[in-house]
Amino acid sequence: MKLKALLKTFSMPLALAGIWLFFIWKLDHDAIFGDGQGGFGRFVFLGPRNLTHLMVEFSIIGTLALGMFMILLTGQIDLSVGSGAGLIGGIAAVLIFEHQWGAAPALLTAFGVAMVLWTLMGTLIVTQRMPSFIITLGGLLIFKGLFWRVINNATVPVSRGDEENLYSRITTYYLPANVGLLLIGVIVLVSGILLWRTRAARAASGLTTGSVARPVAQFIGIAGVSYVIVSVCNHFHGLPITLLILSCTAVTVYFLTKHTPFGRYLYAIGGNEEAAVLSGISVNRVLVGAYVLMGAATALTGFMTTAYQGSSSTTVGDLMELDAIAACVIGGTALKGGRGTVWGVLFGTLIMTSLLNGMTLMAVEPHNKFMARGFVLALAVWLDIRLSRP
Amino acid sequence: MPDPILEARALTKRFPGVVALKDVNFDLLPGEIHALCGENGAGKSTLIKLLGGIYPCGSYEGELRVDEKTAAFCSIRDAESAGIAVITQEFALVDELSVAENIFLGRAPRRGFRVDWLTMHRRAAELLRDFGLDISPEAPIRTLGIGQKQLVEIVRAMDKKSRILVLDEPTAALTEQEVEVLLTHLRRLRAQGTTCIYISHKLDEVFAIADRITVLRDGASVTTLAVKDATIPLVIKHMVGREITDLFPRKSVAASVSEQAAEPILSVRSLSVAPAKGKAAFLKDITFDLRAGEVLGFGGLMGAGRTELLMHLFGAWGHRLGGKVTLRGQPYARPCPGESIRRGLVLASEDRRRYGLILEQEIGFNLSLSSLREFTRLGGRIDAPAEQVRNQQFFESLRVKAPGQHVRAGTLSGGNQQKVVLGKALMTGPTVVMLDEPTRGIDVGAKLEVYELINRLTAEGKAVILVSSELPELMGMSDRVLMLHEGAIGGEFTRAEFTQERLLAAAMGHASAA
Repeated sequence: MKLKALLKTFSMPLALAGIWLFFIWKLDHDAIFGDGQGGFGRFVFLGPRNLTHLMVEFSIIGTLALGMFMILLTGQIDLSVGSGAGLIGGIAAVLIFEHQWGAAPALLTAFGVAMVLWTLMGTLIVTQRMPSFIITLGGLLIFKGLFWRVINNATVPVSRGDEENLYSRITTYYLPANVGLLLIGVIVLVSGILLWRTRAARAASGLTTGSVARPVAQFIGIAGVSYVIVSVCNHFHGLPITLLILSCTAVTVYFLTKHTPFGRYLYAIGGNEEAAVLSGISVNRVLVGAYVLMGAATALTGFMTTAYQGSSSTTVGDLMELDAIAACVIGGTALKGGRGTVWGVLFGTLIMTSLLNGMTLMAVEPHNKFMARGFVLALAVWLDIRLSRP
Repeated sequence: MPDPILEARALTKRFPGVVALKDVNFDLLPGEIHALCGENGAGKSTLIKLLGGIYPCGSYEGELRVDEKTAAFCSIRDAESAGIAVITQEFALVDELSVAENIFLGRAPRRGFRVDWLTMHRRAAELLRDFGLDISPEAPIRTLGIGQKQLVEIVRAMDKKSRILVLDEPTAALTEQEVEVLLTHLRRLRAQGTTCIYISHKLDEVFAIADRITVLRDGASVTTLAVKDATIPLVIKHMVGREITDLFPRKSVAASVSEQAAEPILSVRSLSVAPAKGKAAFLKDITFDLRAGEVLGFGGLMGAGRTELLMHLFGAWGHRLGGKVTLRGQPYARPCPGESIRRGLVLASEDRRRYGLILEQEIGFNLSLSSLREFTRLGGRIDAPAEQVRNQQFFESLRVKAPGQHVRAGTLSGGNQQKVVLGKALMTGPTVVMLDEPTRGIDVGAKLEVYELINRLTAEGKAVILVSSELPELMGMSDRVLMLHEGAIGGEFTRAEFTQERLLAAAMGHASAA
């Protein structure tokens, strides 16, 4: 029983460690047990170059999964985000490439379109009482069609000629090493202050504060992980912008779900919608809010994934909604709503993207990659159910 | 006297913490219509679930005899093969299937592997014709009215060669004409030798159709009367016949407070409400006033509209057809839960697992759920320490028995869940507190705490509306009682006028009987 509880707590880090060890064994065998020549650069999976790419892929799926997380918390679902991401990224690319817009206004306009579309879908779901599965399945198809129409079934680059713009820089610009270190320093400092202030506020209210070891451990953890990430990236080109976008998204979603009434209401609606209504919660408003945020996450993901490919083409965003849902579910988010955490979603995303990244490096054929993803999803949920059983 | 077709000897059925049936004796003579009467919770439903095999043998004590032989029903099927058919208010009909398919559900005539549709429709048509029903066997059940559905169930039961028909509140949702049709059919079936157990709150009907009446009270069989020797007041007297102990520590403050507050806090004038737009009124012409420091009790039988009235005032049920509601001097025309809470009107619902709690979440999460505004600081952030301190105050003052407010609400006992629901409502700082069956399913100690809480609230000048199915509780805790009868007010009583007979008579629409 105790072992089971322990296993449940650490199931995700263990799974992640297992996947990483497997890829390291398969891909970096020579680098570790070889003649020691070439140093860090010889690592295929653990090398700074690949880890930076892994972080970009992680950021793209992670941002979408964080938006999906809030939808799933309420017990709803959004199937339209994959083709939506393609559409929004495509609109920005077309505005720049074919209509000679500047990158900033093009991105803002596309972002605005996303907000309008998702507000509309959310409103339809709550006012017409149509199941979100159906509305967003319709969205999936409609957005796909719109997307192909917008880009005219062609490949539209995110910038004209070889020039760099804001759009293309999302995935080509890296923070210089010093700036990265400085940024990390500030983040660590701020998190330290927040940890300390939380504790002080509890003490001032006469609440138990628990052992001081906990915040200290959390602080060391944050500092350590941040430092490792920034130094790995600095071995390549520096911190990728996408990772910053993901970090901002994660902090926002964490704050919303953990520290605001809106977040409480998401959990309450997913846990028991009737009770939420009778508790005076404006369920409709909260649900539309969740869809609007999903729209924002979709737009950001659309920009990142399009920029990562360098151009918008008909396959951008394909099956991404399923990757996002799978990441949430692997991370312990309940599809029926009311249960899940931001940390879980990030872990789930990391598991998914590590798996994809490693398999790509091993040159696993696409059909096997699909099947492996399917098995991992089923396995993760099976484990969760087994370990949750009393 | 002929031998009984069915006998219950010393039946006792226990649930955890409750004895639902105590030593019930009951006999059914062939060819009679035998009515079961009793208040809500007297044990009628438990008894018929036992007869129908829903509570299998072994789960109760005592003996059930059919045709002079001990009957041990392990399932509904066993009871059916002994010839007992139970027809409850929740029909066992599949809405999307046709009348014929429903009549032959699970036993469709076959030809080889195929369903023999022709035979099925022909036989269904014959059965319906024999019953004098003008219903097409191919019509989907959902197109039928409630009365017709009831008759289809009876047709099915008769085709299964049932000898004992058990009808639980068959007329609760029927119009007067439909009731007349049903009673005519039952009389005809009786003439053909079918025996019937008939459960109804409507004593008029019982006296119109039954041969004998057995009265249940608090899970025990009180008496069996022949209808020709009985009167409605006599039956009501047997149904009540209980003494009120001073289990109810109501300390009235209404007299002193209401002098200062001549203005009612809540005033309702000729309120009519339909379940939905375009439907007929369910709550009819309801008028009452509620003053500070007062406990106003609402009583009535199941389905009289008590819960609906509270839910409507709170803004969670129905479509208002007419009438006026004034809350603290302000007209309140379009209620919704959030707005009600802001205006100081709260509701603690009767079904706390369904409407009250987020079971998967912690006690603290539930307690503060309606009051989060109070703790929200700059930038929409919840001040977690302030919230936790407030939660702890309610957790302690309500004496929730749990290791701490971090415990999940779903793991608590009924009484403690109820305290959390009350705490959530009270944390919003209400002036009118509506309690729907606040003591249902909780033990005596927890009940007492709820009563003390009601006293504390009225002492603070709040007004309480109490809905209860237990007459002693209603009389013990209310300063004034309104009895609802079929969606309308059946009688109003002040404390001096309380007798169980009067209240029950008003609930049954016989205000003059007692």
